[in-house]
Amino acid sequence: MSPEASLEAGPAMLEAFAHPAGSAAVPVPGGATAWSGTLLHIHIAPAASYEMEELQEATCVAGRGIAGDRYFSGTGTYSPKPDVREVTLIEQEALDALARNDPPLQGGPITLSPVDHRRNLTVRGVPLNHLVGRRFRVGSVILRGGRLNFPCKYLEELLGLPVYLPLYNRSGLNCSIERGGVIRPGDAIHLLDGHAD
Amino acid sequence: MTARMIMKLRVASARPTTPEVLHLCLVHPQRPELPAWTPGAHVDLRLPDGRVRQYSLCGDPADRTRYEIAVKREEAGRGGSAWAHRNLLPGAVAHVSAPRNNFPLVDAAREHILIGGGIGVTPLVAMARQLAAQGRSFVLHDCAPSPARAPLLDELRAICGERLRGWFSAGGRRFDPAAIGPPRDGAHVYACGPQRLLDAVRASLGAAGWPDAQVHSEVFQATLDENFKPEPFDARIASTGAVLHVPADRSLLQVLREHGLATASSCELGVCGTCTCGYRDGVVIHRDVVLPVASRQDRMTPCVSRARVGVTLDL
Repeated sequence: MSPEASLEAGPAMLEAFAHPAGSAAVPVPGGATAWSGTLLHIHIAPAASYEMEELQEATCVAGRGIAGDRYFSGTGTYSPKPDVREVTLIEQEALDALARNDPPLQGGPITLSPVDHRRNLTVRGVPLNHLVGRRFRVGSVILRGGRLNFPCKYLEELLGLPVYLPLYNRSGLNCSIERGGVIRPGDAIHLLDGHAD
Repeated sequence: MTARMIMKLRVASARPTTPEVLHLCLVHPQRPELPAWTPGAHVDLRLPDGRVRQYSLCGDPADRTRYEIAVKREEAGRGGSAWAHRNLLPGAVAHVSAPRNNFPLVDAAREHILIGGGIGVTPLVAMARQLAAQGRSFVLHDCAPSPARAPLLDELRAICGERLRGWFSAGGRRFDPAAIGPPRDGAHVYACGPQRLLDAVRASLGAAGWPDAQVHSEVFQATLDENFKPEPFDARIASTGAVLHVPADRSLLQVLREHGLATASSCELGVCGTCTCGYRDGVVIHRDVVLPVASRQDRMTPCVSRARVGVTLDL
């Protein structure tokens, strides 16, 4: 199923490589290649402001998102704004850095647990900042990096935690889904070369 | 306004505290601790059709494992309380926001006078718990038709002891705010209940010379001013210069929403303070009951407040 075809069924969603950031990054060489990572957690929320709920298995739908998530259903805080939001990822390493107050941008360590950061996938060993304009595989699903995620004041208000500044530049990656399928915690994550799989 | 997390809480217990008031304990199915709160705070209960109702927390703020609310069945109400009485049985799931406090205790106060009318006593129960635990000076005046129809009366007796004054109209005892006496430094009055009780308290304390800053109240029903005739006006958006026309039969909030200037809202009655926004010039007709007087020169509540001819919004 092409992303274009399934777009008609759901809310306005930008394909990753159609986003200005993603399209600019595609032809630019570089980025880490010799890595392999792991999917640690999957979370979705049924609607804006609702607490995230952890899944042991999730269905990714190309052009739409993760079944049951607010950006799949069009009920997210930012749903009215077309953007790359089918799947969002964050590095466990960024959460670890917050927990050790590194760098010391706030009063002390911040525990931002996977259920609270409001990104869909928590991953380990994946250099997310290198993946704008790149294709990579999570289990059997193929994602495309569209743009860097950036922290929002909304998250800070929702959590009552000063996470805005400490998350800057390690807030994660917004992706579209090139090939859908089922993902589970423990799935391996690998970089894919080029456009053909 | 601040965003608040919405949680799916489980009803741990539901028992009548009077024939018309249901006392609910809510717990989180996964987390051992709920977001912290202070006495006077309320939560939003979201109904299946998307409507939102506010309920004060009446439990112990020191107990993070559960929220307690009391819901009075309002036969003439807007349907939210009847839904809650029918559906919020033990084991049911309630969609509840993290708490917000528009009615806090004044930390520096030396003496607290709490006045509750009917179901309006709920935030005062939490206040009394904390004041009693801290050994601070307070008295709680509880106004109700009879002891049997006074919500959470057993709890109040246990918490307050001698500091509880029951005013039950069936027994011929009616609360007279004049009994509070003259204003005193460091004394703060907190009233919650029907509008007529709040009006009586404000009028009496005002006449006795109590400064407004020492009298606090909370209502969950907007003032009904039947003589108000909405007029059309124009709202100019400061950031873009766009001018939006607000017809007499639509709220400013509705018009903002139609133009994609989506601002979060909740009660749409002018009582919760979720949708307030800044304005720069224009004569605003404030119809909310949430903004303090000092804020009204540059903030307004677009769900109920309007303007004469035009207003420029800080959006």
